[in-house]
Amino acid sequence: MAAAVAAASLSAQSLAPLNEKGVPVGALAPEAIAKPRPKPAFDITGTWLHGGGQNNPWQFAPPPGFKLTAAAQVQYDASKKAAAEGKAYRDDIGQCWPAGLPIIMTRVWPIAMIQKPTVIYMVSGFMNSVRIIYIDGRKHTDPDIVIPSFNGESVGHWENDTLVVDTTAFVDDHHWIDNGVPASDQLHVVERMKLINQGATLEIEYAMTDPKNWEGEWKWTKRWRRVDDQEITEATCLPDLNQNLLSTGPKQNVR
Amino acid sequence: MRALFIASMCAAGLWMGTTTAEAHHSMAGFDRKQTVTLTGTVQAFRWENPHSSIDIDVAGKDGKVVTWKIEMTAPAYLVRTGWKRTSVKQGDTATIMANPLISGDPGALFVSIKLPDGSVLPQPGGGKDKAK
Repeated sequence: MAAAVAAASLSAQSLAPLNEKGVPVGALAPEAIAKPRPKPAFDITGTWLHGGGQNNPWQFAPPPGFKLTAAAQVQYDASKKAAAEGKAYRDDIGQCWPAGLPIIMTRVWPIAMIQKPTVIYMVSGFMNSVRIIYIDGRKHTDPDIVIPSFNGESVGHWENDTLVVDTTAFVDDHHWIDNGVPASDQLHVVERMKLINQGATLEIEYAMTDPKNWEGEWKWTKRWRRVDDQEITEATCLPDLNQNLLSTGPKQNVR
Repeated sequence: MRALFIASMCAAGLWMGTTTAEAHHSMAGFDRKQTVTLTGTVQAFRWENPHSSIDIDVAGKDGKVVTWKIEMTAPAYLVRTGWKRTSVKQGDTATIMANPLISGDPGALFVSIKLPDGSVLPQPGGGKDKAK
């Protein structure tokens, strides 16, 4: 009885799933790695950089005919007004807030992706932001205890040659899809990832909903190329960085 | 030799595209259609992530010296066009081409620099003088 209570207490603090003995086991625990699983469709391990090919911009711009909620429309209109005045609108990334998903994926910095049988770690060269994609069969954490984040909580499963990644549990402020298009805690991102061009290209189909900010589902397809000749480095946005970047100052920014 | 190296890197397309500066913060505050020429004395060159930067003291038409803050891309990309931490030093006399801030504040987005030895260093995606 004491052991069960202790285990329950541990699981409430840890987000690791419980094994058959009720003990939390993290994705990198030897017993989790060693557990027999079907061979994955691909191994994404490598350094990747967004870009290449046609129709592959870094922005996640709203699709044609998009409809925002009233609250989001206010932000969007304000961003257009700021742009017309030669200013940025609520450029939170420039003020050292994390970029968050999906924009973290298309920065002009390489992303180191490391795949284990149970989890994929993606570490961006931009602010060393980390994404963790669990592929060990776990479901999303109980919404009452999940910790909201800028990159969300990602769980993935294999469908033939595709890794389908479902991400929820986002923060509710300072997080943007595009200029003037906010993301809320209701953002839901589904990524269908596959390797093409003999493994040289990572293609991801995005489908996103955020009923607090827009109607319906927005979709994009983006591509990354494998850059075996590059490394990620430490990159940190420090409080005194912006002293030397006047474009982040109040005259150039509407906050 | 350095000029030849830079030219060959450009020809091979071995530099980043035009969006390197977009990586961190918005570029909305810069006038990308204009290029200013700033000749003066380098006060600082910061070789750091996510943005390197140069401070240069420039005498205005009224003779007053103003410190301009020039924003650049990250060192990992600068290296690809021949840059080093020691490429620019405090005390160097240099001429910088840059896209100025729309607000008129003494800040600009780096395009290229002509060094005391006469060599020219662009940055990836830079070297594209947008002067009319």
